[in-house]
Amino acid sequence: MFRILHDTNYDFIRWWKVMAAITIAFILLGLGSLAIKPPNYSIEFTGGTLMQLEFSKPPDVAEIRSSLDQAGIRGAEIQQFGTNREFTIRAQNPAQVAAQARGAENIAISIESVLKKKFGATELKVIRTEAVTGTVGQELKRGAIIAVLLSFLITLIYLSIRFEWRFATAAVIATSHDVFTTIAFLKLMHLEISLTVVAGLLTVLGYSLNDTIIIFDRVRENLRKGRKESLYETLNRSINETLPRSVLTHATAFAATMALLIFAGEIIRPFAWVMAFGIVTGTFSSIYVAAPVLLWIERKWPRKTGARQSSSTVTPTSRTRRSPATAAR
Amino acid sequence: MNLKWRIGIIFGLVALSVWALFPRTVVERVKRNGEFVYDTVRHVPLKRGLDLQGGMYLALEVDDSKGPVPDKSKAVDNALKVVRNRIDEFGVSEPVVQKAGNDRIIVELPGIDDPQRAEDVVQKSAFLEFQITDKTQALEKALPRIDAALKDTKVATATPAAAGNKDSTSAGLQSLFTADTSKKADTTKKDTTAVAGTVGGPGAFSKLIQPGRMTGEYFVAQNDVNLVTQYLSMPQVAAALPPGKVVRWSSDTLSYGNRIYRPLYVLDAKPIITGEYLTDAKPNTSPTEGNLVQFTMNNEGARRFRNETGRHVKDFMAIVLDQRVMGQPPVIQSAIGANGQITMGGKDLQAAQDLALVLRAGSLPVPLRVADVRQIGASLGRDSIHKGITAGTIALALVILIMLGYYRFSGALAVAGLALYILYTLAALAGFSAVLTLPGLAGFVLSIGIAVDANVLIFERIREELAHGKTVRTAIDEGFRHAMSAIVDSNVSTALTAAVLYQYGTGPVRGFAVTLLAGIAASMVTAIFVVRTFYMIWLNRSSEAQTTLSI
Repeated sequence: MFRILHDTNYDFIRWWKVMAAITIAFILLGLGSLAIKPPNYSIEFTGGTLMQLEFSKPPDVAEIRSSLDQAGIRGAEIQQFGTNREFTIRAQNPAQVAAQARGAENIAISIESVLKKKFGATELKVIRTEAVTGTVGQELKRGAIIAVLLSFLITLIYLSIRFEWRFATAAVIATSHDVFTTIAFLKLMHLEISLTVVAGLLTVLGYSLNDTIIIFDRVRENLRKGRKESLYETLNRSINETLPRSVLTHATAFAATMALLIFAGEIIRPFAWVMAFGIVTGTFSSIYVAAPVLLWIERKWPRKTGARQSSSTVTPTSRTRRSPATAAR
Repeated sequence: MNLKWRIGIIFGLVALSVWALFPRTVVERVKRNGEFVYDTVRHVPLKRGLDLQGGMYLALEVDDSKGPVPDKSKAVDNALKVVRNRIDEFGVSEPVVQKAGNDRIIVELPGIDDPQRAEDVVQKSAFLEFQITDKTQALEKALPRIDAALKDTKVATATPAAAGNKDSTSAGLQSLFTADTSKKADTTKKDTTAVAGTVGGPGAFSKLIQPGRMTGEYFVAQNDVNLVTQYLSMPQVAAALPPGKVVRWSSDTLSYGNRIYRPLYVLDAKPIITGEYLTDAKPNTSPTEGNLVQFTMNNEGARRFRNETGRHVKDFMAIVLDQRVMGQPPVIQSAIGANGQITMGGKDLQAAQDLALVLRAGSLPVPLRVADVRQIGASLGRDSIHKGITAGTIALALVILIMLGYYRFSGALAVAGLALYILYTLAALAGFSAVLTLPGLAGFVLSIGIAVDANVLIFERIREELAHGKTVRTAIDEGFRHAMSAIVDSNVSTALTAAVLYQYGTGPVRGFAVTLLAGIAASMVTAIFVVRTFYMIWLNRSSEAQTTLSI
C-alpha cells in the first residue's frame, strides 16, 4: 500500500490568522483594483461586437486599426488570438453599442466590409461573430447575477436540511469567500468575464462546497463519536483524516484542468484559468475559512451539550475544556 | 444471486448506452453539390451545439422604432410562423425557430456558410405592393412649397452614420402622407443641375432632383440620396408633399455617362393590390430581362388584379417591395391576370431565389431587428472539437496514471469504472437529446478529473477500515457505507448548482449544465454501484475469502 500524508496530525487551524490576513489582503487588492478600473466584461454583458478573423498572412495591426478608425469604429480592441494570423476585434464602447440598437449586426457588417476592402476579400475570413445589443447584455447580466445568488440560496437550504445551520452557514461563508477571491483573481489576471466564466465560477463554488462538505461530513461523524476533545481538535482531526483524499482528488482535478488550460484552445482558456484557481481557493477555504468560521459560530451560539451524543456516557463534552481558539482571545 | 443481478444491470446499462450511441440512419436535409436535398445519413446521435459544428444563432425582436406595435406577443406569434416558413424553405439541416420569452424569436441555423444571406431572408418584411405611378406631375406642383418649407429651416448637415446608409433611405420614407391640400402652385420648370453639398437656401429640394424617363419618375444623383432622404423625412417637407401620393426610392441605380443616379418615384398611395393574394413565386432567368421572379395569384387576387389593371391601361405600374420600387415600372399594355413577374435588375439568381422564397412564405407582420447574433465558422467548430478531444485524452491519461500509481489494483477497478462513466455520460447526453457545446465539452473533460473523487473517498475509507484491523470483506462494506453520505451530499449540492445554471443559462452555458448533470448521475452510478460490483466479483472469485487487498 502506497500512502501519502497518512495519519498526519498537523495543527492546520493554528495558522488561521496568518491565512486570514493573506486572503483578505488578496481580496482587498482585487477589490481595490476593481474600484480603480471596472472589470473586463465580455460583449455578452456590455453589448457590442466581437469578431474573430483569420488572415491568409500575418497582417499589420496598425493597418487594421487605421481602417477601423476610418470607418468610424474608434477605440476597438484588436488582439492576437492564438496564431499571428488570427485576431479578435472587440467593439464595445458606448457609441458602438448604441449603434447596434437598430440591429446588432450593423457594426460587424461595417468591420467586415472595411477590412475586406483594405486587405482584399479573399485575404481574410470571419470565423466567429458575436454581436449583442445593450438590452440583451443587460438581461444576460441580470440572469448571471440571479444564477449566482440563487445557487447560494439553494445550497444554503440544502445544507441546512442535511447538516445543521452552523455548518451550513460556515460552508456558505467559505463559498462566498471563493467568489471574492475568484473575482479578485479574474481582475488581477485581466481575464474577461463572460457567461462561460460565470459558469466556471459556479463550478468552482460547487467544487469548493464539495470539499467543505467532505470535511464537515467527517466532523459530523467525529462529533457523533463523542470523543473528549474540543471542536478545535475535532476540526483538526477531521482535516487530517481527509487529507489523503483531498490530495488525491485535487491532483486528479488539477490534472484535468491543466489539460484544458494547455490543450483546449483559446476560447476555453479563461474558463480553465478560473477552474485552476478555483481548485486552489476551494481547498484553502475549506480549511481556513469554513473551519475557523464554524469555531467562531460555535463560540457565539454553543450547541446544547449532549444533544447529538445521547449515547455517550457522561457529560464532559467538548466545551468543558477551553479550546485554544477561545483561549487565544 | 444478488451479484448476478448487479452484473446483469451493469451489462444492461452498457448495452443501453451502446445502443444510444450507435450510429444510426436518419433522413436529414443535407447539402449535395451545393443543393439541399433530403437524404439518409449515418451518424452518432450526439447533438453538437452551434459552437462546435459551426452555424448561426439569431435572436430577433420586434422593431418598434418605426412606430408602436400594439400587441407585441401576438405580433411575434404571427412573425414566428412566417420566419419558420422561410427557414424551412431556406435549406438548412435541423434549423430551430422558436419563441423566447414574450417578444423574441430565436433562430438557429447549423452549418450555415453565408450568415449575411440568412439574416436578409429572416428579416426581410417582403411586403409587396402594386402601385400606379403618378401621372399628374404632382411633385412638380409641390416643389415650390417644399423649397419654401426648407428655406425657413436650418438643416443639420450631419451625414448619417456610415453603417446606416441603406437603412436611413428606407426608414425616412416610412410615412410620407400629406395633410395640406388647398394650395395651387405655379409649375415652373426647375433648373436641374444638381449641386451636392449645399443645404437649405432657395430651391434646396428642387435642385437635387430632375425628371426621369416617364411621369412620376425622378433622378437623384447617388451622392445626394442621403440628403434627399433626410429632407423627405422632415415633417414640414412631408406636409408639403402632394396629397394621396407616396414617394419611394428605386432598388436600383442607373448610370448616365459617369454619373450614378437613383430613381425616385411618386406613386398613388393606395396600392391596386398587395402581395397577400400571392400563391406561388419562383425564380427564373430571361434572356432579355435577366433574373426575375414569376408569381401567381389566387382567384380573388387575379380577379382584382384584372379589374384594376384594366382600368389603368397605358399607365405605369410600380412593383414595390418593402417600400422599394423593383426595376423600372412597366407600362400596362392590357388587363393582367393571375401571373406577373418582378425583374431583379442586376442582382444574381441567388437574390431572385431568396425573393421568391420570402414571397412564398408571406410577409412579416411586423419589422424585426436582430438583438443578438452569434456566428461560428465550421472550421473553428471542428478545431474546438479536435482540441477538446486532445485535452480530454490527456486528462484521462493523467487521471489513470494517478489512480493506478496510487491505488494499484483498486485503482484499476476505478479506471474501469471511469471508462463506464464516460460511456454512460455520453449515452445520457445522446439519450436525452442534449446538446454538446464547447463549455459542455470542457466541463466533461473536467468531470473526468472530478468523477474519481467518489472512488477516492471510498478507497480512503476502506484503507482506514483495513488499518483498524477489519477483514477485507468487512472493510470494503464499511468503506462504501461510510463514504456514502459525503458522496451524496457533495453530488446533490453540485447538481443543484447545475440546475440553476440550466435554468438561467443560454445556449453554450446550458449545454455545460446538462453535461454536468449527466456527469454527476453517471459518476454516482459508477462509483457506488459499478465499482462495488467489481469488488464483489473479485471477492467471489475464489471460494475462500481474499485476505489481502491491493489498495
